[in-house]
This record gives sequence, structure tokens and C-alpha cells, in this order.
Amino acid sequence: MALPNQQTVDYPSFKLVIVGDGGTGKTTFVKRHLTGEFEKKYEPTIGVEVHPLDFFTNCGKIRFYCWDTAGQEKFGGLRDGYYIHGQCAIIMFDVTARLTYKNVPTWHRDLCRVCENIPIVLCGNKVDVKNRQVKAKQVTFHRKKNLQYYEISAKSNYNFEKPFLYLARKLAGDPNLHFVESPALAPPEVHIDLAAQQQHEAELQAAASQPLPDDDDDAFE
Amino acid sequence: MASKEPDHEHREDEEAPAADDEDTGAQVAPIVKLEEVSVSTGEENEDPILDLKAKLYRFTENQWKERGVGTVKLLKHKETGKVRLVMRQSKTLKICANHLVLSNMTVQEHAGNDKSCLWHAADFADGELKDELFCIRFASVENCKTFMEMFQEVAESQKPKEENKDASAAAGLLEKLSVEEKKTDDKAEEEKPVAAKEEKETKDDTEKADAEKKDGEAASST
Repeated sequence: MALPNQQTVDYPSFKLVIVGDGGTGKTTFVKRHLTGEFEKKYEPTIGVEVHPLDFFTNCGKIRFYCWDTAGQEKFGGLRDGYYIHGQCAIIMFDVTARLTYKNVPTWHRDLCRVCENIPIVLCGNKVDVKNRQVKAKQVTFHRKKNLQYYEISAKSNYNFEKPFLYLARKLAGDPNLHFVESPALAPPEVHIDLAAQQQHEAELQAAASQPLPDDDDDAFE
Repeated sequence: MASKEPDHEHREDEEAPAADDEDTGAQVAPIVKLEEVSVSTGEENEDPILDLKAKLYRFTENQWKERGVGTVKLLKHKETGKVRLVMRQSKTLKICANHLVLSNMTVQEHAGNDKSCLWHAADFADGELKDELFCIRFASVENCKTFMEMFQEVAESQKPKEENKDASAAAGLLEKLSVEEKKTDDKAEEEKPVAAKEEKETKDDTEKADAEKKDGEAASST
């Protein structure tokens, strides 16, 4: 469900509620999908931020309106008021912080009070970190409550598409739904005048000496 | 700085549970019925002339920020000979870069990382033109070199003949081109359609509209 000030689209869209303790990486995960960047800085979300996120599937384009809710209680805003009409959900915890996993049942209970029988994915984030506090084997909550579970890393992109793929399959009732290459539209021709070109070259020179954020990491998936 | 040990920080594969894709979720009733649709990559009329794994960054707020990890391609149009750079994010297959490689573009090395290089482009990845400074990092120095050479070669090939003779004079000519090239380019086009270039667009708009009908529709429909 879109916010009143958000454009509606002519393809299927779903309200996705994302909950979990503060600092588990909900906003970073959403931002990773939106722009590609990995935000290291922690700025608590106040209330909720809603972002449309599109995916291309063999059954056409779909959209998740991601309701990225505040994890920190003091910034909680309307709290479960944000869950109303949620059609699917992600509960996030941080595998390097045991308490965030302990709190999963509370998030789940609150969510289920408002949203009955919606597909829910439990995500253990930050699995790229070496010293985990919650090992994969210790994660059992999803079995008790019939949730799907994925280990993910917003940093390395490990499994980062899986929660959306799972939810899309459930919402459409199609286990074979998959992501496809979105059409690469022909870019329009542009005229670049000399002044602009010189400016671009100056910008290039300046940017050439700026370090890349992660150039110690050689792994491409 | 650039040459660090490839210490394996990413061990998620070992740590992930074996039954990663086991569905433990509850049965829920689907809320939409979706039909399979025909899908198009938009690349059907192009041939890839380069295809490499890479990580793309763009310069925003005075710093490099990640844009996506995936496959970067240089695609040459089968009819017009124009070449564009298209990069898709792996897994989601979304587009993170999509722009023409034009004669006035240059690609240069990143000062601190010899597997990386950067360039400027008016990018169309999100369906609207946006000025971007891109930096791309490859898994090896060789791949980076291959990319840079190919990029530069393509940019050169997109130049009208008279510009090729004297690259430095070309810049000065640019301002006058809109008037002069109409004559010269018409001739050039007969001989070598590959040299079709953006500067003569003004005159050839109608002719090109036919040739590129498909492109035009795609672009204007956004």
C-alpha cells in the first residue's frame, strides 16, 4: 500500500514491513537495494521511512513498498501503527549481537497481532563478520513459527536478493518466479558542450585520487 | 594500498547452513495471480564486444559510493555501430549503468588502485539522464587494462574522420561543428554508417527517427 503522496503504479505492488532491533541493518539493507551503496554510518531511523523498490520477474515488474521502521524504542513513532495492511514482512536481527535475536519473538508477536497470515522472512544479517554471536545452528525460531530464514550480509551482498524473491514467490503463489534482466532502454543522445566537458574533466581529476570505500575486498560474487 | 593480500573475509559460504533454500515458511494464500510475460533485455540488437565482472562506484557527496557488483558489457549496435556501456547487478539483474560511449569520453586510471578506472557519462540507468562520475574496479589489473583499452578504442571509433586526424583541434572545432559538419557528415555517413555520430543529430533527426525507431520509442516511453 502506497502512502498518499506516493505515485501509484500500474503493476503489482506490495506493502513490506521491515522490523527488528535498532542497528541490525534494516536501513542499510534497503539502501543497498535502492542505490547500491553500503552505508557504514549508523543513523537511527525515526518512525518509518517508506521506499519503493522494483524488481523485474518472469511475470513482469513488481514493487515492494518497503516500510523501514525504527528499531530503537525511543524513536518508534506509531510502532505497530505502521504494520496496518502489511502484506509481507522481514524481521531482521544481527548475528553479531545475541540480544537482537532474543528480541525476535517480540517483533514477531507484535507483527502477527496486526498482520495475520502474511509471509514473513527472518533475516540474520552481518554474516560476513567473523565473530558471530548467533551461529546458524542456534537459529531455531523460524521453525517454531513457520517463517523462512536467510542468513544475509548487506555488506557482501550474500543472499541479499533472497528475502525479496521468497516473498514475491509467496505473494504470487508461484514457486518458479524468478528475477530477469530488466530491459536496458536505449539511452538518448546527449550533446556535451566544451565548457561542460572541461568541467567533467576537472571533476575526474579530483575524484581520481579519492579512495574507494572497500578496495581491500577482492571478492566479486 | 592497492595490493593487499586477498585474505578471505567473505566466508559466508562456509557458514551458511546447508539447506539454505529449504522452505520453512507457513502456507499462505497468494494475493495476486501473475502470468508469465515475455521479457526483453533491450540488448537484442547489439553484440557484446566486452563482458567482465566488476564492481561499480559513483561519485556522490564528494566520495565514491558503491553502485553495484555484476557484469559490465560494451554492446555494439548491429545497425548503427553505436556502442553503449551496460552494467547489471548480479542476482537482481537490475541495471546500474547504461550510457553511450561517445567520442569525447576519456577513461583514466584511479590514482590509488591499479585495478580501477574512471570516466564521466550522462547515464540512463534509472530511465532519466543523470550526470555521473563512475569508477569501476576489476578483479585484476589485466581486466582493467582490457576495459580501458576497449573503452578508449570505442571512443576513438565514434569520432568523425576529420576529427581523428587531429584530436587536439577537435575540441576547438566542436563549437563550429553544428554548422559545418552537416555537409561533411552526410558524406561520411554514406561511406561508413559506423561513424554516425551524435553531433549531426540536428539535421538527421527525421532520417534517424526511422532507423532508430525502436530506440526512440524506448527512450521516450519513460
